Amino acid sequence: MRRIATGVLLAALAAASVCCSRPQPYRLRPLLLPPPAGPDAPGLPPVPAVSPRNASYTIEARLDPGEHTIAGSLVLDWRNTSDRALSSFPFHLYWNAFRNNLSTTARGEGRRRRFEPGEDRRRFGWIEVRSVRRVDEGEEDLTPTRQYLHEDGNADDRTVMEVRSARPVAPGASARFRIEWDALEPYGDPGRAGWVHDYHFVAQWFPKIGVFWHGSWNAHPFYPTTEFFSDFGVYDVRLTLPRGFVVGATGRLQESRDNPDGTRTLRFVQEDVHDFAWTASRRFLERRGRFEDPGYPPVEIRLLVQPEHEHLAARYVEATKIALRDYGTWAAPYPYPQITVVDPAWGSASGGMEYPTLFTGGARILSPPELHSPEGVTVHEAGHQFWYGLVANNEFEEAWLDEGFNTYMTAKAIDASLGEPAWGRRVLGGREWTGARLGWPVVQRGVRVPRGADERAELREGGKEDVMARPGWAYRDAASYGLNSYSKPALVLQTLEGLLGDQTMTRVLRTYARRFRFAHPATADFIAVVNEVTGQDWRWFFDETFFSSDLCDYAVTVDRQPVRVPTGWLEGRDGKLEYRKAPPKPSGREGAVDSRVTVVRRGEVRMPVQLRVEFEGGRVANETWDGRDRWKRFEYPSAKVVRAVVDPEGRIAIDVDRVDNEWIDTDGPARRASTRWAARFLLWVQAFLELQTVVG
Amino acid sequence: MRALLDGFRGLFRNAGLIVLVLALNAAVALVAALPVASLLREDLSHTGASTRMMYGFDYDWWRHFDHQAGGLAGDFAPDLLGTGFAWRNLDLLVQGVVPAGLFSGFTGADAALLALAALYWLLQVFLTGGLLATFRAPAGGWTFRGLVHACGFHFARLLRVALLAVAGAAVLFAAWRPLTAWTDRLAREAVSERTALVLVFGRAALLLLALLLLHLVSSYAKVILVCEERRSAVLAFVSSLGFCARQLGAVLLQYLVVGLAGIALVGLFGVLDRWLPVSGWTTQLLALALFEAFVAAQIALRLGLLAGQVELQQAGDRPRE
Repeated sequence: MRRIATGVLLAALAAASVCCSRPQPYRLRPLLLPPPAGPDAPGLPPVPAVSPRNASYTIEARLDPGEHTIAGSLVLDWRNTSDRALSSFPFHLYWNAFRNNLSTTARGEGRRRRFEPGEDRRRFGWIEVRSVRRVDEGEEDLTPTRQYLHEDGNADDRTVMEVRSARPVAPGASARFRIEWDALEPYGDPGRAGWVHDYHFVAQWFPKIGVFWHGSWNAHPFYPTTEFFSDFGVYDVRLTLPRGFVVGATGRLQESRDNPDGTRTLRFVQEDVHDFAWTASRRFLERRGRFEDPGYPPVEIRLLVQPEHEHLAARYVEATKIALRDYGTWAAPYPYPQITVVDPAWGSASGGMEYPTLFTGGARILSPPELHSPEGVTVHEAGHQFWYGLVANNEFEEAWLDEGFNTYMTAKAIDASLGEPAWGRRVLGGREWTGARLGWPVVQRGVRVPRGADERAELREGGKEDVMARPGWAYRDAASYGLNSYSKPALVLQTLEGLLGDQTMTRVLRTYARRFRFAHPATADFIAVVNEVTGQDWRWFFDETFFSSDLCDYAVTVDRQPVRVPTGWLEGRDGKLEYRKAPPKPSGREGAVDSRVTVVRRGEVRMPVQLRVEFEGGRVANETWDGRDRWKRFEYPSAKVVRAVVDPEGRIAIDVDRVDNEWIDTDGPARRASTRWAARFLLWVQAFLELQTVVG
Repeated sequence: MRALLDGFRGLFRNAGLIVLVLALNAAVALVAALPVASLLREDLSHTGASTRMMYGFDYDWWRHFDHQAGGLAGDFAPDLLGTGFAWRNLDLLVQGVVPAGLFSGFTGADAALLALAALYWLLQVFLTGGLLATFRAPAGGWTFRGLVHACGFHFARLLRVALLAVAGAAVLFAAWRPLTAWTDRLAREAVSERTALVLVFGRAALLLLALLLLHLVSSYAKVILVCEERRSAVLAFVSSLGFCARQLGAVLLQYLVVGLAGIALVGLFGVLDRWLPVSGWTTQLLALALFEAFVAAQIALRLGLLAGQVELQQAGDRPRE
């Protein structure tokens, strides 16, 4: 009896090990990347060595982890790079978005958490400026001139503060501001910044001057969905906090000093960045890696990982290397000597976010390699260094220039290095947000998610809601912001790559990334680069995609008719009319046929398309069509078409329905595929029915 | 263990019962599967995706199909592959979708499928009387007429037991909601993800255990009702509680063995399924045979457990081993 029980137990354990077996660690695919282009590569713009450095900050801040407060003071050296004298200066006070439930962020629907009635007091946070002084050429107290700006009409919002000086700053001249402030860190997940337990993620945390751009100050309120925009400079930051904390920050550690009161002061310095973020926790484990590849400057990788994610450290580091290598060659190499990767604490919303030379990943303990997590988020956030970090477009107004470019390149890099991710679903965690993230990952290794497939589905379902190119706060809802800032621009760029070819696209991106490094470019600058590199006017392409809410959908249909045998009254050899009877219908096999292939434009977007037509006997015809009319017919007399594919190479990634792109003659596969999958569906239903007997 | 073995011997002596339940199961399931087959056939007709779906899975096609398909076809997803369906069912059980979506607000599966599931549940309650009557004297064999007669004779009382069990499950799930909210809150506030993971999986395990205990008591109540020809479902429940308390080790051991055998069965299915490539008609038939063998084995485990319970109950409070 015992033997039977033991046998059953062993069999169950063996079965469980089959079901739950750890998958093989992934192998990197052999890379087919173009060689990286050096700083002075011929035919490409030179890479600027330094930024304009017109907004440099020297900051001293002290964290009280018990009270979750920060007391800070900063000196801002700001240079007027505009063509006019300026006397008013807006500053962002981002943490005031979490001050109460009246801020613009709290009122709206967006990516940041809304405050609910009866909200936990800890979730509120604020930043309060004690004083603002102008300290160049004599001291001027600007504190009394302080007022809050409300471009959205919300008088309760305190996220943009403006001060005025009696002494305008002339074009090219500099001003020095000294600001003192206090701040309360919010708890948990109202925004990216905040604390949970002893983990502090401190970002967008100091009064930060706006950008004078395109003839006016660009300092928008902290909208529910939008991100950031700021000028480049040198950051010299001293952070004081109790000893025992592991600290990660933008820049390199220059100095560490223990103070008599039990605290430690750390000094971080970084040139040519436009922001400074930092994190501190006693729980961080520190792991290091080094990116070294011929043609790229070496980069030290510092990973601060949660103890429960230690087993994922190598995957974090490897994914960071993938981003540094792939983005480095497709755009321009990463110029800083170090990068810090932060694995956020459980319960924090700081994951998956980018800051100069520092970014946050995000992982679960149960992370099968096939799902490419944390690789996907790591490559994406590391990739932001190249667009948000170095090119630094206006994320308020043209989020797609960062998020869209980055989503496009993330997919390309993941595809090139790791291959397509598998499909998976988490179970047993429940439906609520917390549990759903924790569920047991069931991975379907046989189901691969091709590049762009999820984005395409998103575009199909919500693409008509908004024109893509509009300010981040002007989209209909948060989902539309996500679609038009991430998914659609990524598909548009993938389509552009398909139309231009990989080599030309790489040249476009390299030219754009190098010419506009540290330069705050706009969409028009990118279009100009495309036109310049290709030598053609591609404005039409962007009109159809960036500046449109239309969808793209091409389809193919095939119609075959028996070859027409002359029947009826026809002229005979002698020129007289004679009657010819219809020939008897051929029995059995289909006789000779004429084929007509029609390519239909079902969407409004117009793209040049290719058509591949395969005939019985193996002959192939390749056709092209400018795609502008609603349809185009191709006729093939006395030829039997067995397969027709519009866009056979999948170049039009924004084609929202690829199922109707291909027609095949035979219906056998449909019969077999449908019975195959219906049988699986039947099995599930049968098992589900049996499950009913558990209760009752 | 001996009671369980005797139960399985009795079941195999009456193996036709497995076939009967399997046929019933397949017949009800076909009502759901046939329209889906037709929809799949229609959607894949003359498309390149049909070739890809014949040999693998076309994700692009599925996203499109899933977006358009309503009703039953909306339950068609990649997790039907391999042992994924078993995970999905376990998840549905924990979510309260069983039986018939009663405890989940009728979400998680299509309404038509839930209606079919309710019908199947009722059929199984009906059949239980006949099955138990056969297992009471397995050497005597069974006839269809006799089975139906016993089913009809015991149905009303067994239905009351089943409804009592459903009411018990309703109480369980009602108590579960605040517990879920509480553990979610604890999990959210946990310092480490590991703690959160333990909380979330722990509560799922606890729920499964509670459901199992409920099943145990209701199952023995049915056995007592039929074997002792009781009239009162409530008293049968009470007697079952007493019996299970007295024979706790033995009744739990039966569940443990059958549960482990169930896991082994799913694992074996996973291995065979991975090994069997499906594309042509022959391999499809083989796959279908494998699927039906799996369901038959699943049914056999359930009926074997029931027969084992009859054996144990008939042995009374005297320990057999």
